[in-house]
Amino acid sequence: MTGSGWARISTDAFNVALWSYIAGMLAYFHYLAFRRRTVWMIGLSAASLGVVAHTVSIVARGVAAGRPPWGNMYEYSSLLALLVVAAYLVVVEGMYRIRTLGGFALAFSVFTMAIAVQFLYVGPQPLVPALNSYWRQIHVTSMIVSSSLLALGSVITIVYLVKDRFERSATPPAISGGSTDLDRVEDAPPHFEAGADEPPAAARPARRGLLPSAAVLDRVAYRTLAFAFPLWTFGIITGAIWAEEAWGRYWGWDPKETWSFITWVVFAGYLHARATSGWKGRRAAVIAMVGFVSLLITYYAVNLWIVGLHSYAGV
Amino acid sequence: MRTALVLLLILALASVAGSLVPQVGVADARIAQTFRDHPLRAQIYDRLGLFDVFGSWWFTLIYVLLFVSLVACLIPRTRAAVRNVRSRPQPARELDAMRHYAEHPVPEPPGRVIERARRVLGRRLFRVEASPADMTDGSPLALAADKGLAREVGSLLFHWAFLLILVGVVWGRGTGFSGRAVIVEGQTWTEAHANYDGQIREGRLFGEDHSGLRITVDDFEARYRVPSGIPEEFVTRARLADADGRQLGSVDIRVNHPAAAEGVKIYQFGYGWAPVIEVTKAGEPIASGPVVCEQDRAPEGVSQLQLPWNCVVKLPTLEPQVGIAFTLWPDIRGLTSLLETGTSMPMLVRFDPVMTFVAYRGDLRADQPVRTNDLDTSVLQRWTEGAVGAGETKEIGNGIEVTFEDLRNYTVLEIKRDRGLWLLLAAAILILVGLLPALYTSRRKVWVTAEADGDGSLVRVGGFALQRRPQFEEEFVRLVDAIAGAPRTAPEREEVRT
Repeated sequence: MTGSGWARISTDAFNVALWSYIAGMLAYFHYLAFRRRTVWMIGLSAASLGVVAHTVSIVARGVAAGRPPWGNMYEYSSLLALLVVAAYLVVVEGMYRIRTLGGFALAFSVFTMAIAVQFLYVGPQPLVPALNSYWRQIHVTSMIVSSSLLALGSVITIVYLVKDRFERSATPPAISGGSTDLDRVEDAPPHFEAGADEPPAAARPARRGLLPSAAVLDRVAYRTLAFAFPLWTFGIITGAIWAEEAWGRYWGWDPKETWSFITWVVFAGYLHARATSGWKGRRAAVIAMVGFVSLLITYYAVNLWIVGLHSYAGV
Repeated sequence: MRTALVLLLILALASVAGSLVPQVGVADARIAQTFRDHPLRAQIYDRLGLFDVFGSWWFTLIYVLLFVSLVACLIPRTRAAVRNVRSRPQPARELDAMRHYAEHPVPEPPGRVIERARRVLGRRLFRVEASPADMTDGSPLALAADKGLAREVGSLLFHWAFLLILVGVVWGRGTGFSGRAVIVEGQTWTEAHANYDGQIREGRLFGEDHSGLRITVDDFEARYRVPSGIPEEFVTRARLADADGRQLGSVDIRVNHPAAAEGVKIYQFGYGWAPVIEVTKAGEPIASGPVVCEQDRAPEGVSQLQLPWNCVVKLPTLEPQVGIAFTLWPDIRGLTSLLETGTSMPMLVRFDPVMTFVAYRGDLRADQPVRTNDLDTSVLQRWTEGAVGAGETKEIGNGIEVTFEDLRNYTVLEIKRDRGLWLLLAAAILILVGLLPALYTSRRKVWVTAEADGDGSLVRVGGFALQRRPQFEEEFVRLVDAIAGAPRTAPEREEVRT
């Protein structure tokens, strides 16, 4: 088959995936409101079909270009969207058995894909020599997996903030607003508070509502972000190694490097906040939101508006 | 910790500024543009060091303060951690006051139960410490166990590693150098300070110990896709020899594939054209050899490949002195396109190369410091002009002839030594190795006592976790079952269904 044939398949499969995600998103939001099991199954099937079509699209794109399909912004966005949905299905539905968040995860992917196809599309092309390195494969793979997880964790954090606000307005404030640290012991280092990964809302009874309780949302978001953070760190390190090979310097404060560092700092701040009493819950979540914005800047703004070495990765 | 975190956030904010304002070395053209379009703003930025955020004194101040507060924070933590690792788990009283507590009657005597508890906990990688057996006063047998020291140790490794990064950067930059070598095809270049023509940065601790490496460039090739102009390959084919002239073998230096020899790394950085020009007067050669040509920076919207190459041949021995400014078109179609349509076309391959030239007469001012490819035309008179194709000879006048003998490439190699890289790699590994347990393990403590009770004994288990308490709740149930030797009665893992 010719390259253009594969490119064609890629585009068609992309469209199938996009519409499946849109259908899945609508079904999931319907399920969120009305709790019909059949609707959930429709949503799940649509999302799964989307994942399959999307995988086909990305593989076909790689065949058409004759290289791994993450060489420019369009391809990167597409892969990010796929990974967010896949991570949602595996982590949130599979591991935590939460069904109500599908609409939010799918909405993120639909949005990302719509931007990709509308503004970022370029035909499959070979890479310029500077991008031709196996460190690049490792760097880009870890960056894309970690950004998809950071995005998923951030989306869940947004839902958490909404739900928490709702729970707060519905329940009287908890006494002294935190878990009771009866079992704090002497040898625990002073800066290291007990219950680092527990939400302060743990003591509050989970009430049944539209969404999982704030405590559960908070925990799932934390786990996702805490899993993504080392991967992001690894991505920055491999990026530095690649830069050393390609440009002869491991770190040059190029805008993309700078913003990946800023994002890293903000999420590091989030993890510290989680381990600090008085900063758990909402405050930490707000830091995660700042991190999300920084991630989006790292991801879109740097390539589109700020000039630097990474900008030749193109749109 | 709070101070360090605040400083880290300030560092991030400073970086934001550094990514929004064009930076020296990254976007010099845009800095110049800011000075043209917004002189006042540019002045203010310049005063504040905003054009060079990452090299400014206040950026340095922030990260020095950050490292100071980090160290101040880490030293007591490290002491406490060392104490914790050295000390054994401590016995506890009042197990029933713990967050998790269970008691079970078991048929075995206390000694057997404690032995099993030790096995069970040991298998789960707890550190176990039994209280000295003292059956005489009837007090129960007891053991204390804990787990998860890796969390704090990992966290400390992670944080100390950043100090190692600082050391690696300072040491690497301080003792190293990086410079650019311009080598024409067929020439041999020796790695020594003088040969960089000033294009070198040497660290403060650098001991002038250049490697003396000799690089002989046999060939350079730049390949582009036609007609898109997308670069496909840049490769320098070279032979290396050490300072004593011993051959070290041939290397291909490509983008992304540097060569390494004699402690230095060699990167493909750029390239250009070097026409071989011979100038004769009355048949006698007065200048001969390859001349390195340079390009102006392409303005917005114009490809660098559309621009011709400029170089100068100076003839100070003639009376009056003569300077010739050449403009090289490696592909004649670039020039014809410019003459016919007003815009040049990208020159992707060598094709009938041609040079136009303007000759000047007068005083070259050879006593003034002027760049090789600059001609100070203030005291020179324009004399003649013309064009010469490859292989052709043109007379300028007065019996002076110019021959365009050959067109060669020159390659620009970035040559670098950084002895801090190993430290940085080690730090990167420590960061990852430390981060995983710091995030994913949790500190747990468990105490077990067993007391004679009729034929068997009564076993009491108490414990708590400092992190990941929901998981420990389940783990504790399983632990108690295993210690009591009971069949698995643990409830199925509770699923969060909503």
